Amino acid sequence: MDVAVLDRSAVSGNSHLHHAAPRTKLLAFALVLASIVVSTNLFIVLAVTFALLALIAAERLPARSMLPLAAYPALFAAVFAFASAPDALAAALIIAKAVTAALAAVTLMFTTPYPQVFAALQRVTPGLVGDALLMTYRAIFLLADKLADLTRAVRLRAGLSGAHPIRSAKATTRALGGLLLYSLDLSQREYDVLVLRGYSGRLKVAERPSTSPRTDRALIAGAVAILLTAALWRVYWISFIDYSWMPLAFALLCLAAALLLRRRNR
Amino acid sequence: MSHIHIPDGVLPVWLWLGGWLVALALVWLASSRSGSVDVRRKVPLVGIISALVLVSMSSEIVPLAYHINLTVIAGVLLGPQLAIISAFVVQIVLALLGHGGVTVIGLNTLMTMTEMLLGWGLFRALIAMLGRKRVRGASAMATVVTLAITTTLLVGLVAVSGVTGATARETGALDASNLTFASPFSDGIIGVGLFSGGEQAHEPEPGVGLSRFAAIVYTLGPLGWLLEALVTSAVLGYVARVRPSLIFAGALAPAERIIPGDEAIR
Repeated sequence: MDVAVLDRSAVSGNSHLHHAAPRTKLLAFALVLASIVVSTNLFIVLAVTFALLALIAAERLPARSMLPLAAYPALFAAVFAFASAPDALAAALIIAKAVTAALAAVTLMFTTPYPQVFAALQRVTPGLVGDALLMTYRAIFLLADKLADLTRAVRLRAGLSGAHPIRSAKATTRALGGLLLYSLDLSQREYDVLVLRGYSGRLKVAERPSTSPRTDRALIAGAVAILLTAALWRVYWISFIDYSWMPLAFALLCLAAALLLRRRNR
Repeated sequence: MSHIHIPDGVLPVWLWLGGWLVALALVWLASSRSGSVDVRRKVPLVGIISALVLVSMSSEIVPLAYHINLTVIAGVLLGPQLAIISAFVVQIVLALLGHGGVTVIGLNTLMTMTEMLLGWGLFRALIAMLGRKRVRGASAMATVVTLAITTTLLVGLVAVSGVTGATARETGALDASNLTFASPFSDGIIGVGLFSGGEQAHEPEPGVGLSRFAAIVYTLGPLGWLLEALVTSAVLGYVARVRPSLIFAGALAPAERIIPGDEAIR
């Protein structure tokens, strides 16, 4: 999980999605998620996946970093699907739902700085939870870097070696123990900083307004269209089932067009 | 099994919505009870321990579809009230990084929370029975028992959801009959057998999926429990040697440092 790439893209990116209001992106994410939840048709879920891929391609988002993150839940979903799905199609649907929902979440996080995402959550959660969310996300970067340094140090001292698995295990757990102590010291330092800055039980994040209202409108319209399509194929599935390939074909066309445009503008 | 690896839109609505409601009620209760005293110290601590759990979860052991969780360590360090808040924070960040699913945040929070609380309770009880010198043994036993219980909870959850057996469309769960349809691909354009089931697809035998799921979980699970127990006992054993107050008095207790090698001086 390379959160540094995610954060760099969210803060320094300059696509249309980066200019949309965080609240709009959260609403669009919720609508897309609802479409995944209501859909029981593999073709419709795949259509949503390809629509999201088309958006990523059109907006020139860092797909190489996004796709592995979105594919990560597929591994765990595959175990559940293999164990419980009645047939191959149902198993494919379970995995497609996991990957599509993850792709939607990753698209949101790659285009929105995390304080803006958590600012919306802070309004509906207790103070301690909202502030802990902000602290957690910031600490992930620090701890991931520290763990990488510790592992590198252990490796340089030949602490990690395939020939000596017990010695390697001991070195790894000591590194984790060291990371734990470092974490607690870090929390003490964070506490000192909060006291110095006069923290009184609520970190305040100002919500950033949209700098592209047109993108906001397009985003909501697209998300509503996706949800309506999914709902239509769910409620009137007997009438529409023979035409399930149509949304998928449309999404594939959009992806092809986005890739062509991207190549032409390179 | 710190969280259920079941994607969005697979479990019935009543189940994940119920999970959200119960989790939010517990988080609100824990937050209101722990938020009144010394919030400034608790916010960084919850944030950093949650980040530590997230960093440990970020690398999976592929053949087992398992990742280290450190939830028992988090429970021991945070205590019951802060552990509930940490569990919620961890699941929100995981879902936003595409790992876990948004609709199942409630159920995942309950699972992680159960693991942290059980780990904390069992560790305290075992230390009281075995004495403070048996930190490694107590933490290993607490971890194995905790993970065995939460894995059983996961199997129970899947059984209650009814996802694996006859999956009624009205519940919002998967419906195999929706997935098998006459697509243009089955009429000779591309002869993929996957889509040729049609209306003749036989009903899955109820209970078969669940027993297969339980068999897989209970086969792969113990390897993960053992691994987690080894890591937890090594890390807590190390911390007990260098900073025992963290474990016996909790992370919010005043810091007490013992330089490695000087343990005998105490």
